[in-house]
Amino acid sequence: MHSFEWVEPKTMAEALNYLSLDDTNVRMVSGGTALMLMMKSGVFAPTKLVNLRSVQGFSDICVKDQHLCIGSLTSLAEIEHSPLVAKELPVLNEVMKKLSNVRVRNAARLGGALSHGDPHMDLPPLLSCLDASVRIQNKDSTRVMQVQDLYVGYYETALEKNELITEVLIPLKPKHHSVYMKCTTRSADDWPALGVAVNLKSNKNTIEDIRIVLGAVSEVPTTLSLTQAFLTNKSINDAVLDEAAAIALTEISPLSDELGSSEYKLHLVSIYVKRAIQALMNKGANNG
Amino acid sequence: MGNSLESLKEVGQSLPRKESRYKVTGQAEYTHHVKLPGMLIGKIFRSTVAHGKILSIDTSQAKSYPGVFAVYTADDIKTIIPDPYYGPAFLDQPILAIGKVHFVGEPVAIVLAEDPHIAENAAQLIIAEYEELPAVYDEVEAMTSDVIVHKELKPSGTFPDLKHLQGKKDTNIALDYHLKRGNPQAIFDSADHVFEHTYHTQQVMHTPLEQMVSVADAQHDKITIYTASQSPSFVRLEIARLLGWRENQIRVKVPHLGGGFGAKLYIKLEALVVATSMLTKRPVKISLTMEEQFYTITKHPTTFKIKSAVSKEGKILARRCDVYWNGGAYADIGPRVTQKSGFTAAGPYDIDHVEIESYALYTNRPPSGALRGFGIPQLVWAYESHTDEIARSLNIDPLEIRRKNILKEGRPQATGTLMKGAEIEKVLESVAEKIGWDKPFDKGTGIIRRGRGIAVAFKAVVAPTTSIAIVTINADGSCILSMSSVDMGQASDTSMAQIVAEVLGVKTAAVKVSNPDTDMTPYDMATLGSRSVYHMGKAVKLAAEDAKNRLEKMATDLQMTAPYHFRDVFIKHYGMQAGSIVGYGSFIPTYTSPDKKDGSTLNATPFWMSGATGVELSIDTETGHITIDRLINVVDCGNPINPEIVQTQISGAAIMQLGFSLTEKMNLDSGQVTNASFADYKIPGFNDIPLVMENEAVKAYQIDGPFGAKGVGESATFGVSPAIANAIEDAVGVRINELPMTPELIFMAMRKAQNKS
Repeated sequence: MHSFEWVEPKTMAEALNYLSLDDTNVRMVSGGTALMLMMKSGVFAPTKLVNLRSVQGFSDICVKDQHLCIGSLTSLAEIEHSPLVAKELPVLNEVMKKLSNVRVRNAARLGGALSHGDPHMDLPPLLSCLDASVRIQNKDSTRVMQVQDLYVGYYETALEKNELITEVLIPLKPKHHSVYMKCTTRSADDWPALGVAVNLKSNKNTIEDIRIVLGAVSEVPTTLSLTQAFLTNKSINDAVLDEAAAIALTEISPLSDELGSSEYKLHLVSIYVKRAIQALMNKGANNG
Repeated sequence: MGNSLESLKEVGQSLPRKESRYKVTGQAEYTHHVKLPGMLIGKIFRSTVAHGKILSIDTSQAKSYPGVFAVYTADDIKTIIPDPYYGPAFLDQPILAIGKVHFVGEPVAIVLAEDPHIAENAAQLIIAEYEELPAVYDEVEAMTSDVIVHKELKPSGTFPDLKHLQGKKDTNIALDYHLKRGNPQAIFDSADHVFEHTYHTQQVMHTPLEQMVSVADAQHDKITIYTASQSPSFVRLEIARLLGWRENQIRVKVPHLGGGFGAKLYIKLEALVVATSMLTKRPVKISLTMEEQFYTITKHPTTFKIKSAVSKEGKILARRCDVYWNGGAYADIGPRVTQKSGFTAAGPYDIDHVEIESYALYTNRPPSGALRGFGIPQLVWAYESHTDEIARSLNIDPLEIRRKNILKEGRPQATGTLMKGAEIEKVLESVAEKIGWDKPFDKGTGIIRRGRGIAVAFKAVVAPTTSIAIVTINADGSCILSMSSVDMGQASDTSMAQIVAEVLGVKTAAVKVSNPDTDMTPYDMATLGSRSVYHMGKAVKLAAEDAKNRLEKMATDLQMTAPYHFRDVFIKHYGMQAGSIVGYGSFIPTYTSPDKKDGSTLNATPFWMSGATGVELSIDTETGHITIDRLINVVDCGNPINPEIVQTQISGAAIMQLGFSLTEKMNLDSGQVTNASFADYKIPGFNDIPLVMENEAVKAYQIDGPFGAKGVGESATFGVSPAIANAIEDAVGVRINELPMTPELIFMAMRKAQNKS
């Protein structure tokens, strides 16, 4: 590992001052779980790391204007154990229990987990599916972007080099139910070979609104638009689910890698899309 | 016997481990903590090709990098050590590559600097040019390949049981072990049924969480080596041989180890730190990264072709085993693995006609050595999968076929050695009882199907090996045990102290155990292969008895009669609290090398280990995912010195083998490991541990073991993989014959079976 400068700003404004559009060798670090792997393997050799751990604020979890708002410096473990998250958006603490391992969750921060851009992450597909947005700041201005627009390629995000995610805003939709299913093919705490996030509203057995986003099978979280369109206003039964799964397979083309062959991953998609929808329909039925 | 065991006060108690408090409070000593004045850090520059002639090595840029102290290649090493080859079986491994490289990751040059980051950066500036040669990676191909990994084979002759070793010139065969008993061919020609199957195991790594680390401090006529090694005595011997020095000029100190599992045996980094410390006249430390460990030592991938002649009733009449061990680029201890495990390749069954061919092969992969089982898990994987395949074909219950064929006490095993003190039947029956084999089993309906499987195995402990111990009684009556056994997590310090305490009639907590330091602690062959409790345990017991006898003699001479305090004996003898009593114990078992022609020996091993596994699992038939609902492991380790430690050894071994069964595999692309990190090489985590684990050591007594004990470190690795494969077939009717058994492999096998029917 190369030597680098380590700075510890106390405020977000101070931190953002270290970033500039043309210096790609400065990087923010909050949990550092992904960054350390990249630095150890020599993929990334920064000249300066800006530690955000001393920055005050940006770690609140609250409800504002029908949104669950989470500061970007909140650790994944804090989200996992938050009673407010459990009450307002239980899918989010459920996903945490299977996200990597407890050591990573204690260190990693929400903002870092969203800005890393590794396609094998669990939060990008889930938050995309929940129609979440992120507040993004540079030293001069603030903008808001949908999470699903954040990802543009393999380890590539729409963030400019001088920008940072400061808050995540998740709309609360009381009539929707959501689920995230993580499928690993090696150890339980492995990267997912497939992540399936579904968010839907149903009336009895009919789907009124549905979002399906897949993680890990392509370079960016993939929304299954055709499958969604097919399922909207459909009454759900095995035949409809089979047809939906078949449509889903036309919307992706996963690559073979050490987590599984393309053929096997496609099969997993067809199974897990059905399972996720079925789980939510059952939940809706129980609640109704 | 029963009465005497019950009268024991220290042995047989689940006493707490001596080192735990130091470990959990961060006070335990490890080699990684060693810092010496003026110490340089070495970073290794490694080969990027699997097989090639070295055309040039340009170190000029690295040498001129600010802060670099020195950069060395094999030419520099040779100025100190003219013939810098090492290895326990063959002197085949150069300290740094000479002329050729034989695997991706082979050390080619080293950069030394006070700052590890400077050394690492400079190492990246070294440029080596190679003329690439064709490479061979597969063990079966290596048998007949035109690619010859080593032109010249140089047996090292270190160990008595490997003295005959020569290798086969102009082949990749480092060792071929042949055993022939009876006339198998005639039986195959006439048997009711002949079954033949092939099984494969993958390359995996030991993954000790404490990565390999060594420090050498060379002075003009003596060297101190601090190293995370399982074999301090061997390191001393081998470094002395390389330098042509006396053994007392080399001092090897080993603190606690953060895991070993066979990775830290023989020479690993020690020769390199010694040579570079001598060249620089500064202390030198090398600490490997986790990635580098994947290029240092691994477990043999294997191909095992097994063929059995079986009667209608399910009696195994003859068996032929062809086992190919992928040893990688350097033999390490592979030939010993090949031979020792070759003894038992036909399984724990009473078979009159047996033929075994076991080959240790060179390939262009990272080297393979011993990993928790010394080759046995690879063999059991094959022979216990094969047992179930035979049972299914003949429609015989898997437990019944094992009962029908199991090797009973007093019967000759394939080598001709009689089975004595091996509770094979007992461990099998105990697993059958625990799993409730005779009771109905819910096989599930719908998507989730359930199955169960069993496996039973045995092992001949490596022989012959020597252990020496010294027990010192101080003038106040306190005692110190000095031995070179390495406590790498198996709690040998605690169990050995229990033996001393039992003999001397003191408390275990009052016995101090010194860490290995070859200037102070006597010879021990190595901490490997579940040998310590039996071999070192016997030496320790003898040493404690010797000390006790000397003390009693002193007391008798002083007309003192028991009970007396030890201190009073010293005070009376020396006139004050002064003096020491030193007790000595030495043990080496008898052993007869196998006959060169038929591989037979009437004395293959001083003791047999046995273990059986039972598995209940559920399979998601839509995806192939497995959940292990219940994992039962029963072993024979004689009379446990410390039952709690035995329990954790059983769980630890079983979980480790679970990783090798289900998730772990080194993926290679042109010899390069593509998943050499914990991000992509997956050992089991807490969420992968079976829902229920049951461990048992059957009631047993090893007749010549210390207090009836024998080793337990490996026994629960034996049966895990085949028991899982057998349970998978029970659940969904497909047979998996390679490891790891991934969900995809299982699902695709099910799909193939479905398409067929």
